[in-house]
Amino acid sequence: MALSPFASRSPSVTVASPSSALRLKAAATHHAPGQAVTAKSDPNPERELTEQLNDDVRRKYVKGKKLGEGTYAIVYLGHFRDDPSSCVAIKKIKVNAEYKDGLTMDAIREVKYLQELSHRNVIALHDVFSSKDQNLNLVLEFLPGGDLEMLIKDGDIHYGVGDVKAWMGMLARGVWFCHENFVLHRDIKPNNLLIAADGEVKLADFGLARSFADPYLNMTHQVITRWYRPPELLFGAKQYSGAVDVWSMGMVFAELLLRVPLLAGMSDLDQISKICEAFGTPTEENWPGVTQLANYVTDKAVPLRGREFFLQQFPTAGPVGADLLMSMCVLDPRKRATALQVLQHKWWATEPRPTKNEDLPRKSGTKKMGDDLARRGGETDDGPFKNAARQLDFGGMK
Amino acid sequence: MIEDDIYRTSSQFRLWSYTESSLKSLRTKTNHIASERVRAALRRARERHASSTPSATGTPQTGSDVEEKDIECLTPEEELVLVRYYCEKTVELGETYRPPLPTNVRVSLPTTGFTQRLEPFFLRGQPKLTSITYQATAIQYLRRFYLTNSPMTYHPKSIMACALFLATKTDNYYMSLRQFAEGIPGDTTADDVIAPEFLLMQGLRFTFDVRHPFRSLEGGVMELSAIAQGQAKPAPHLPHHTPESLKQGLLSIAPPPVPSTSITDRIGRAHGATRELLKSAAQMTDAYFLYTPSQIWLAALLLADRPLAEFYLDTKLGGPIDPTAMETEPSNLQNPLYDLRTKLLQVLTDCGALLQSYTPLSSDPDQMKILKRIAKKLYHCQNPEKVNLKRDSAVPRSTPAIDAGAVTSESETERLAKKRKLEMEQKQRGAHDMFGPELVLDRTRH
Amino acid sequence: MASKNGIDRRDEDEVCPVCKSSRYLNPNMRFLINPECYHKMCESCVDRIFSSGPASCPVAGCRKTLRKNRFRQQTFEDIGVEREVDIRRRVMHILNRREEEFDSKRAYDDFLEQREEIIANLVCRIDVAKTEAQLQAYAQENMQSIKANQALEEQEATSFQKKILLEQEETRMRQQIAREEYESERREQQATREDFLTRLASGSAADAAAIAREGHKVHLKKSSARRSEEDRIRQKQAALRGTEVKRTGTPLTTADTAGSTPGAGFIKGLRKIKTPEPEKPYDPFMGLVPGKRDYYTQLESYPYAFLDKLRSDLTVQAGGYDLQEYYSRTLLEAFAGLGCFVQEEVAKRDAISALGISKPASTEGAAMAAVGKNAA
Repeated sequence: MALSPFASRSPSVTVASPSSALRLKAAATHHAPGQAVTAKSDPNPERELTEQLNDDVRRKYVKGKKLGEGTYAIVYLGHFRDDPSSCVAIKKIKVNAEYKDGLTMDAIREVKYLQELSHRNVIALHDVFSSKDQNLNLVLEFLPGGDLEMLIKDGDIHYGVGDVKAWMGMLARGVWFCHENFVLHRDIKPNNLLIAADGEVKLADFGLARSFADPYLNMTHQVITRWYRPPELLFGAKQYSGAVDVWSMGMVFAELLLRVPLLAGMSDLDQISKICEAFGTPTEENWPGVTQLANYVTDKAVPLRGREFFLQQFPTAGPVGADLLMSMCVLDPRKRATALQVLQHKWWATEPRPTKNEDLPRKSGTKKMGDDLARRGGETDDGPFKNAARQLDFGGMK
Repeated sequence: MIEDDIYRTSSQFRLWSYTESSLKSLRTKTNHIASERVRAALRRARERHASSTPSATGTPQTGSDVEEKDIECLTPEEELVLVRYYCEKTVELGETYRPPLPTNVRVSLPTTGFTQRLEPFFLRGQPKLTSITYQATAIQYLRRFYLTNSPMTYHPKSIMACALFLATKTDNYYMSLRQFAEGIPGDTTADDVIAPEFLLMQGLRFTFDVRHPFRSLEGGVMELSAIAQGQAKPAPHLPHHTPESLKQGLLSIAPPPVPSTSITDRIGRAHGATRELLKSAAQMTDAYFLYTPSQIWLAALLLADRPLAEFYLDTKLGGPIDPTAMETEPSNLQNPLYDLRTKLLQVLTDCGALLQSYTPLSSDPDQMKILKRIAKKLYHCQNPEKVNLKRDSAVPRSTPAIDAGAVTSESETERLAKKRKLEMEQKQRGAHDMFGPELVLDRTRH
Repeated sequence: MASKNGIDRRDEDEVCPVCKSSRYLNPNMRFLINPECYHKMCESCVDRIFSSGPASCPVAGCRKTLRKNRFRQQTFEDIGVEREVDIRRRVMHILNRREEEFDSKRAYDDFLEQREEIIANLVCRIDVAKTEAQLQAYAQENMQSIKANQALEEQEATSFQKKILLEQEETRMRQQIAREEYESERREQQATREDFLTRLASGSAADAAAIAREGHKVHLKKSSARRSEEDRIRQKQAALRGTEVKRTGTPLTTADTAGSTPGAGFIKGLRKIKTPEPEKPYDPFMGLVPGKRDYYTQLESYPYAFLDKLRSDLTVQAGGYDLQEYYSRTLLEAFAGLGCFVQEEVAKRDAISALGISKPASTEGAAMAAVGKNAA
C-alpha cells in the first residue's frame, strides 16, 4: 500500500507529543512554581501533568450550539479557539449509567481506530479530551452535507450514474484504506456515509470496527446492520475477512442505483431467504464448506444468478458497472472482490466519468450532522430492524 | 521507505515516541509536580488537624516532628522502579487470572507445540482468553500512564487491574467487568477495577492502539522459513537475489550460539528466544518509547541468533561494503541502502543493549530490597487526596451532564476536591490495606 | 491616417526610376512600392517585369526578389514612414502579448519598451539579422498564443464595432421614445386642457379649484413615469455592457504554455499560464499506489506449520478468512518503522514544536492549536 502518511492529517498529529506540550507547560510553571499560572481559566496551577495536557487540548476548541442529541451522545458545533471560521463537531459521549463496565465498546472502538486512520474518505478525529463529569469529547471533522441515505430517499434529488460512480469511488477508497490498515468497519450502510461540505463522502461510525487477520481468533458474527450483512455472517462465521465490508459496499451500490434497499429482510432468516432469491442459494458446489457454518439454513433452491440477471436488474449501471456489482455480491466470500480489486475494476475508467465533487447533488433539507451522530448508539429510528447491530450484547463478543 | 511512512501515522509514533532526554525530562517534570502536590495536600491535612479536634490521629504525618520538616517524596528513578515492579505484577495477574469464561467466547486454539510457543501467555495448556498482546498492551498502558502521572498520586496497584481490564476491551478480548473482577485473586471488587478507568484513559491521551513487536516477529520468522525452503522472493531494492541464492546464503551463515539439528530447528529456536525477550525485556524497559516495533524485534533476534539476524537484515538492506573495492566503487554505488543500514545497525545495537540490561526485579534480592524501601517511602508520601478513586468516578456519574458552552470545569473540580478531602480523612482512619505497603510484603512471601 | 490626397497631389514631373516615363506624359500613371525594398516604380513597369513570376528589383544595386502581388500603393508620402509603419505592423502582429498576460504593469511596460526597441532596430537597420532571427524563433514557438491573441484582437474589434452600433441604435431609440412621449404628452395635455375648459365652462364655481388640482396631479404622474422609464433604459444598457465585458474577458485560457518554452526568455515577466491540461484519467486510488513495498515482496503462500491447521479447516475457509491478509499484516508489521529513527525524528519534531515556547503561557493552548494547524 502506498498510503501517504502526509495526507491531510488531523491536527492531533501535531497535538504535540506529551514531551513538547510539556515544554510549553514547563516554561509556564518553572517561572513561577507554586504561583497561579498565567492562564486565567485555570485557577488551580497545581494540576496533574496529565490533566494539564488534557486542558491544553480542551482549550483548543470552543463549543457552540447543540446540533443533536441521542441516548449516548450529544453533538455540538464547535470551532478552533484561534480560528472562529473553522468548524468541528464535538461529540460528547454521555456516561451510560446502565453500562457498568466503564466506557462502552462503541466509544472505545471509535476512538481507538479513528486515532490511527487518517484518510480523505474516513471521518477525521481531530482530538479527544475529557470535560467535567468524566465525559468523553470527540472532536470530529464537521460534515454538514448529511448522509447518503438522505440523498437516496429524497425524491426531489435526481442523480445519475456519474454521481453514483463518484460516491462509490469515495466509499471504496475509504474501505480500502481501512483494510490496508487492517481495520474492518463492520457497519457500512448509507446512513454511515456522511458528506462533507465539499461533497466528499466519508466513512463514519467506527463503533463496530475491529482489527482483523489474526489466525485462530474468533470474531462475532453479530455485526453489520442486517440489510447490509453478508451471508457468511448470517450463517454464523467466526473467522472472516475484509469481504464482509465489500458485501455491504455492494448493497450500498445497488441501493444507490435502485433508490431502495435491495434486500430488506424482516429477520435474519428472512434476510437469508432474500439473498437466496436475489443471487441464488448457497450450496457446497458454489461455496465449498458453507454447510458447515454454524447457522447454515436454506429454504428453497434457487440457481445461482448469472451476468444477465445483473444486467437486467441494474441497467443504469451499464454492463461494466453490473459486472462490478456482481463481483461484490458473490456469495462465497473467498470469490468476492476485495476492496483493492473493486478499485482496480475497469468501471472507473468507462464513461461516464465520475462526477466532480462540486457538481454532485446536495441534500435539499437542512438536516444536520448532529442528527446522524446522535442517532447512533442503539437508538432505533427506522423501525425495529434498522439498528439491530447496535443492540448487541457486547459481553458475548471477543 | 513506504513501510516507515505508514508507521509514522500511528499514534504510537506521533504521541508515544521519545528521545532519551525528553523521556527523562518528562518523568522529572511529572515527579516534580506530583511532589509539590503531595506536600501541599499534606500541609492542608495538617492544618485541618490543627484546627479541628486532635482525634484523627493514627496517620504517620500527624506527628508533630513530621509536621516541621517536609515529607520526603519519591525520586523519578524510584517511581520508575515501582512502575516496573507493577508491570511485572500485571503479567503475573494476567497469568494467574482465571475468569469464568462463557463458552461462546472461548478461543479454539490448536494444541500443537508450535502454537503454544506462539502464545506466550497461554498458560498451563488451559484454553484461556488471552492473547499474545493483551497483557503487553496493559503493561504499555501502565508505562504510558505513569509518564504524566506519579505513583505518589495514583498507586500502581489501583491502576493495574484497570489497565488489564481496559486492554481486554481495546484488544477485543472483552468480557464483562463482573466476570473479570471475579477472576482476580484477592478481594478486588468490580468497582475497584473500573474506578480509575477514565483517569487511565486520560493519561493515555485517549489513544488505545499499541503497536507490538509480536506479530512483526511472526512475519519475520514466516519469511525466514520461506527462505529456508527456497521459496522467498528478493526484496524490492535488491533484485539480484534469487530464491535459491537466498536459501544458499541462509545455509552458509555462521553456526548458531546453541547447536541445532537443522535450519528449521535453528529458526524455531531463535523464534522462541526472541519471543521471550519481547514479552519480558521489551515490555519492562523503555524500548517501546525509544524504538519502533520492527527495531525491537530485530534487536531481540540479534541477541538470540546474531548470524541469522545479520543475514536476514542483509537480504533487506544489502550486505556490508567491501573495503577493498571502495577505491573503484563508492559505498553508495555498492549498496544504495548502505547509509540506512549503518544507522540501523547502530540503533539495533543500542536497543539490544537496553533489552539486555533488564533483569526481573523479583529474581534479584538486591532489587527487591530497594523496592521494599521505596514502597515504605511511598506509604508516607502517597497523596492523601487521591486515595479514593471510587469517589472520583462515582460522584460525578450521579450528576446530570449539562455543559453550557464552556468546556472548562474548575468549579466542579474544586467541589470534588472538597469532597475528596472529607473522604480522605475517613480513609486515613480506616488504614486501608488495599493501598498500603502490604502488597510488597505479600509479594516477598510469595 | 494619412489621406490619399498626399499622393494625389502628385508632382507633375515625377519620373518612374525604372522606365523613366514621366507623369507629364502619362497623367494616369500610378506608382507602386514593394515592402521588400520600397523602391518606387510605375504600374506598367510592375506589370511588365513581374507578371510572369517573381523577379529581382530592377533598381540598380537592389537584389531583392519581388512578387507582383506584394506591390501596393504608397500610403505615406515619406517612404521612410511607410516602411516604419509596415515594420511596426508586422512586429506588433507577432509580439502581440496583452497586458493581462503579464505578472505586473511593470513587466508589461518592459515588454512594450522591448518591442519598440525591436522596431527601432529594424527601422534603423541595426542588428537586423539577429533581430529577425529572434522574431522568427519567437513567432514559431508561440504560434498558438499569437494566433489566440490575434483572434482576440479581432473579436475585440468586432465587438467594439457592435458596441458602437448598439449605442447608436440606443441613442436613436431613446430619441424616438422621447419624441413619441413628447408628442403623446402634448396631445394629452391638449386634450386635458380642452376637457378642463369644458368642465369649467359647464361646472359650478366650487368645482373649479378641485378640477384644477386634479389636472396638476395627472401632470406630475406623467413626468415621474417618464423618469422611471429612463432609468429602466439606463439599467438595460449597463447590463448589456456588462455581458459584453464578460464575453471578451476570458483571454488567458487560450494562451499556450509560453512560460515554459525556451522562447519565454525572450519576453520577461510573463505570467505563468496554466494551460488547462487535458483532463487526466480518473484515478480510483487518488494518488496512492496500491501494494507498494520497500522491504519485502509478499508471496502467495508461506510454508508455516502453525497455519496448516487453518488451511485445512473448511469452516474457516467458508467464512472467508483470508491468510493473505495475515501474511500482509505480519510482514508489514515486521518492517513498518524499521527506518524510523525515533531519537532523530522526535528530537526534530520537538524542536519544531518548541518554537511555540516563546509565547506567553496564557496563550499556549492557542499556540499549540496554531502549530497543529500549520502543520496539518
